[in-house]
Amino acid sequence: MIKSFWLKWSFLFKFRLFLGLILFIIVVLFLYLKIVPFGRITYSRDYTAKFNSGKGFIYSFTPAERVDLKSSDAPLMIGDPIYFSLFTPRTFDKAKMTIVYRDNLSLNKPLVEAGVLVDNTIWRYDLKPIDNKGLDYLMLTWHKIEENGHLFLQKNDNYSSLAEWEKDLARGELKGCESGPENCLAVYNYNPPYNYQMSNYRTAVPIVLDKPLRGAHQFYVYLKNEVLRLDMSFVDLNQGLKPAPIEIILSKDNKTITTRRVDDANLSPGSGLIEEKQILIEEKNLAAGVYKVEIKISDDVVIKKIISSVDRLAFINKVWPVSSNGELTLYTDADYLQVKALNPASLQDISFGGQEFNLNETYRQFDFKTSAIEQIKKIKLKKDDVILENNGVFAWAPNSLFNPSLPKVDRFFSVKTAAKYIVADYKKPSEEEGFKTATVEFDLKGAYREKGKYSFMISVPGLKIEDSTKDNLEIYEIKIELRGRTLWQKIWQ
Amino acid sequence: MAKDLAINTSIREIFYFLSILLFVFIVLEIIWPNIILAYFNLNYLFLLCFLGGLISLIKK
Repeated sequence: MIKSFWLKWSFLFKFRLFLGLILFIIVVLFLYLKIVPFGRITYSRDYTAKFNSGKGFIYSFTPAERVDLKSSDAPLMIGDPIYFSLFTPRTFDKAKMTIVYRDNLSLNKPLVEAGVLVDNTIWRYDLKPIDNKGLDYLMLTWHKIEENGHLFLQKNDNYSSLAEWEKDLARGELKGCESGPENCLAVYNYNPPYNYQMSNYRTAVPIVLDKPLRGAHQFYVYLKNEVLRLDMSFVDLNQGLKPAPIEIILSKDNKTITTRRVDDANLSPGSGLIEEKQILIEEKNLAAGVYKVEIKISDDVVIKKIISSVDRLAFINKVWPVSSNGELTLYTDADYLQVKALNPASLQDISFGGQEFNLNETYRQFDFKTSAIEQIKKIKLKKDDVILENNGVFAWAPNSLFNPSLPKVDRFFSVKTAAKYIVADYKKPSEEEGFKTATVEFDLKGAYREKGKYSFMISVPGLKIEDSTKDNLEIYEIKIELRGRTLWQKIWQ
Repeated sequence: MAKDLAINTSIREIFYFLSILLFVFIVLEIIWPNIILAYFNLNYLFLLCFLGGLISLIKK
């Protein structure tokens, strides 16, 4: 029956049927790969493979000058940070990145981190640890407990579990920490259940910060039965072509309390015509504690003035003072300063902690470390338009300065500090014949995706092309396992 | 003679198949960018299609 049916058709018809079937299978296969109906797919790129390397999904590293492609079979990361994009045919919820690399870094560059872009206005990446040599060293020398995926290190063996330690921390009484938990605790990629209490509290007085700051900034304010009123003035420089919206987020313990947003109609892009904007935040009946204010703006917007009802106001990690007349004086709690000038007119000698440092090149990040022993260090700038960064806080007056965040086990962490306890969400990478393999997981729900691409970053803080060392990170393979909703979940939920 | 005819027909049909495949891929690329290009370069398919057409023309 089948035989007679088959013989009935001509060779041409059967051949066309065959080719048509192949065409159908190919199209269905590509649609399957586009839809990913089971919600799981893995993309990988082997940087040493000449063919089938997987570069259609995981794009090459940028910027090109921070990657050496000639000295080795694998790309060498020689400057920090580098970026790559991942093309995905649809959105996903989670990404598990596995990276195989060879670590040719000296001990003063102990960190390797990877992150996914979550905010393209302020270019914020959600960073996760790949390698932390400081923690690797302390794991060998301190008392180590691994509990619920957390790493708990103690200088002295005071606690038998992390849970027991956390109970004491919540009470503010850690064994061996007479001067308060914040003085003997360091963290890495972990937020402990800890409420900052200001030791030298005094009633707040209103202040006016009229020194303009360019671009995104974040600051802490400390309240105790006080009204929070922040009256902020902004200037849109209209130098760029893109719209420059302004978004303010007031939060406490990573929970948003209120937000304000002013959209930009972008009526005169690139014209240089300035536009003034105002935002007011007024919150009564806020519980005592530390609040974080995040000002999400592009570098095309300047914070002209902040009138605050509280003077305990400290900028987090970065300030970029601009358009001020005369000398500027700031205060910070960190003993190092990363300084970058974008304008030749801003090159100068900077006084930091009583020491002079020379800023003599534009578009280069200088690391200045002071040997001053005071807790609060003074920064004196002769000219503005320099970007100041560190892992501490900045303020315009010493009275305003307070830092509620705990010390971090970063590249500036020293085992000689007073830290007696370290808690980290960190897993040491596995190592075989000099090749290290680390796995990190990212939440892609809030990640920024443009033209089907997620943007990732690999960071080695302190790695610079111009420092003439041979330090590099040799990247052999990147594998990204993606998980998301299945087709059935998308249809029915 | 019949064998030659079958070969010529097959080459022509393969050329048609490759042309349709290229067209379908281009349409899919326009609808969902990178759906095909992420996996393989359409230039190779275009080259194959071109060669198929050329051989088909010569054989004719």
